[in-house]
Amino acid sequence: MDDGAHQPDRPANAREDAPVAAAKIRIRDLDFYYGKLRALKKVSVDFPANTISAIIGPSGCGKSTLLRTVNGIYELYPGQRASGEILLDGEDVLNRRYSRSRLRKNVGMVFQKPTPFVLSIYENIAFPIRHYEALSRAEMNDRVEEVLSQAVLWDEVKDKLKRSALALSGGQQQRLCIARTLAVRPEVLLLDEPTSALDPISTARIEQLLVELAKRYTILIVTHNLQQAARISQRVAFMLAGELIETDDRERFFVNPRDSRTSDYVTGRFG
Amino acid sequence: MSIASDEFGGPAPPRRFKSPAPERSSGAGDTIFKGLTGAMAALVLIVMGGAALAMLWGGLLAFKTFGLRFLWSSDWDAVAHKFGAFVPIYGTLVTSAIAIVMAVPISFGIAIFLTELAPKWLRGPVGTAIELLAAVPSIIYGMWGLFVFVPFVATYLEPWMNDHVGTLPIIGPLFSGPPIGIGMLTAGTILAIMILPFITAVMRDVFGAVPAELKESAVALGSTTWEVISHVSLPYTRSAVVGAIFLGLGRSLGETMAVTFVLGNAHDFSLSLFMPGNSIAAAIANEFTEADSPLYVSSLIALGFLLFVVTFIVLALAKLMLLRLGRMEGAKT
Amino acid sequence: MTAHSAKAMRGIILRRQIANAAVLVAASASTLFGLFWLAWILWTTVSKGAAALKPALFTQMTPPPGTEGGLLNAFAGSLAMIVMAVIIGTPVGILAGTWLAEFARRTHLGAAIRFVNDILLSAPSIVIGLFVYELAVRPVGHFSGYAGSVALAMILLPVVVRTSDEALQLVPDPMREAALALGLPRWKITTKVVYRAASTGILTGVLLAVARISGETAPLLFTALNNQYWTNNLGNPLANVPVVIFQFALSPYDSWHALAWAGALIVTLFVLTLGIIARAAFRQRHLNG
Repeated sequence: MDDGAHQPDRPANAREDAPVAAAKIRIRDLDFYYGKLRALKKVSVDFPANTISAIIGPSGCGKSTLLRTVNGIYELYPGQRASGEILLDGEDVLNRRYSRSRLRKNVGMVFQKPTPFVLSIYENIAFPIRHYEALSRAEMNDRVEEVLSQAVLWDEVKDKLKRSALALSGGQQQRLCIARTLAVRPEVLLLDEPTSALDPISTARIEQLLVELAKRYTILIVTHNLQQAARISQRVAFMLAGELIETDDRERFFVNPRDSRTSDYVTGRFG
Repeated sequence: MSIASDEFGGPAPPRRFKSPAPERSSGAGDTIFKGLTGAMAALVLIVMGGAALAMLWGGLLAFKTFGLRFLWSSDWDAVAHKFGAFVPIYGTLVTSAIAIVMAVPISFGIAIFLTELAPKWLRGPVGTAIELLAAVPSIIYGMWGLFVFVPFVATYLEPWMNDHVGTLPIIGPLFSGPPIGIGMLTAGTILAIMILPFITAVMRDVFGAVPAELKESAVALGSTTWEVISHVSLPYTRSAVVGAIFLGLGRSLGETMAVTFVLGNAHDFSLSLFMPGNSIAAAIANEFTEADSPLYVSSLIALGFLLFVVTFIVLALAKLMLLRLGRMEGAKT
Repeated sequence: MTAHSAKAMRGIILRRQIANAAVLVAASASTLFGLFWLAWILWTTVSKGAAALKPALFTQMTPPPGTEGGLLNAFAGSLAMIVMAVIIGTPVGILAGTWLAEFARRTHLGAAIRFVNDILLSAPSIVIGLFVYELAVRPVGHFSGYAGSVALAMILLPVVVRTSDEALQLVPDPMREAALALGLPRWKITTKVVYRAASTGILTGVLLAVARISGETAPLLFTALNNQYWTNNLGNPLANVPVVIFQFALSPYDSWHALAWAGALIVTLFVLTLGIIARAAFRQRHLNG
């Protein structure tokens, strides 16, 4: 099974969009268990920095599970555990000594359904920041404006920052969640099917946003939408039944996949 | 470690982080939080256990003095210091039995009306109205019972029953006697009205829990509404329906104020339902403040302990039966 | 199909339809029957209570037998004990409900506590009164408003525990996950995010609990009892509306009966209003999503 770790460093002209990037996240021999059920089987893959990497595969293949091990969100539930190595900039985040708070500050997550807190738009962003930093009112205002602009939401909400976040539309709420995630200054963004609950226009907006964000962040996106993966990602990883089958640059992946299962999935033979 | 640049909008202002090692403090915070909330939850158990122990303690004198005889002795003499629980126990059981016999069919009917018969716009208001019966404090029931219902029963109901039911064999003696209004029949009737909303509410929820596919397939075969209920809904919810009845029973056993006003606080046993009687709760409520000897007080608390044990068992059984339906529901989804 | 069996089948179908109609008629009759009692009781309360309403109710104390007066000390005492019961019981109840919903959703211990709590909820309140008597009255030798408050708090507790547990469980897990993904510790997630989201449900539960304890008489008979006069000391026996109603109604005096009905009307209105507010708040929350 070929994976990114064994590929030699490629010359700069082999990639069209992203600059040559070292692996931001290296996953080695990752196993994951829901109780007795083994959901991930010795998964090993690299995700380069400042790149959008799409993780695709049919329902139940483990792509969401993989995503959720990177920021340790599974620890909320007893009976779920992971073993192996996940190296973020060389440090293993599965090791208990890597503090959870630091992990989740460095790795942000956006979920499938928008999850705004029952607070004002302003407070949705300010509240998580306050856990890490003591900013003055002016600094906080600036930060709120900054991330809302990054999430392409500022113009739409700048007059109603004190209104409840629940009053926003689905697409706006999701952009708010992205802004909130950016507010604590992560380096990695994990997105679990972030647009599957949204209409096409909101989806397009968010895809545009992600491409722009990829210049500064490392983005992992789980999607069941192959066209979306083709549109915005630079790296694609294909999973099936808890195993990582193949990972490659986008072009090569869709045009000339190595594994027959990959080509079957990509051409729609199964899904 | 590389840090996302803050170039957007100008040079990054110096960042001031809060207290060092947020990990350690939030770890402690989480432990304290979990411990505090857990202790409060444990308090629920402590209250329950404490209540049982306190009453056992308070009633110990009576139990030691009278022994098991306490349960079936119908003595009640404050002067001679002899007390027995038979009349209150009997009255409690009889009034609750009357209440259940009257309330269950009516609750059943109301539940059917609300789930199958009523048009959508009627369900809300009627359902709310029935729930209002539960919201009305029991002392109101007591007052209405004493000032309005008792005269009605004495003037119309009991004379009629004396003439028409009191003459029947076997059950006759139950329904004949002086038409004074105050007595076990009246108390039982008021109890029935009080527990009606509780049984109805549970039955309503329970009927609603029957999967629609089961009912629809019966309808597709040509069943009438009643047949769907009797052949599909009832068998599916059987243990929960029994649970609802036990819940009503548990509440009626412990009901105090409504019964105290209309039961009469008598300490003699009589077969006729028209005669005044006593219930455990009514006896305690009526006599506690006048109990002048430790044995008297202890006897009353001992009665309370008996009531507690019986209602605990009945309510526990009710809960178990209702839980079984919940588990079936869970298994299906 | 022969003509005979067709006729027989029609007969069977007719019998079934008659049975069905009979049941449905009986169901409607039962409903009317139930509503009839409600109407009768409410009508009695309103008519007798309204007849006895007068401004003196709120300005004068409970009178000695045979004279006119008001219910001021009773209202004040009830209010004081309800407020104290809420102060004592609500935090405990919400925290206990929090433990159940956040840390014990599927554990055996959680199931056991929920079981006991539900039994406590339906248990006879007179039993609670006896418990607090042993706890807080017998040791000090006299009845007191404090004991009454504790008894009411113990009746309020299981209601708040259950409604808080349910309200918190309704908050969707993704919201918790989102907060966790931002690096917030569990205690902050619960207090700042989850409580906010469940606030309407929790508040509704408290309102329902207050409605419940406002009409409770039996537990007060053994704890606060009653007081003919005004007292500023909660360590004394304390006047309260339910016990006043109880004592006045069972007396032979007409003036006392009138006061009892007035008190009954006010208590009923108070309880029903709280119930309506609670329902309205609940529905509002559902509309807002």
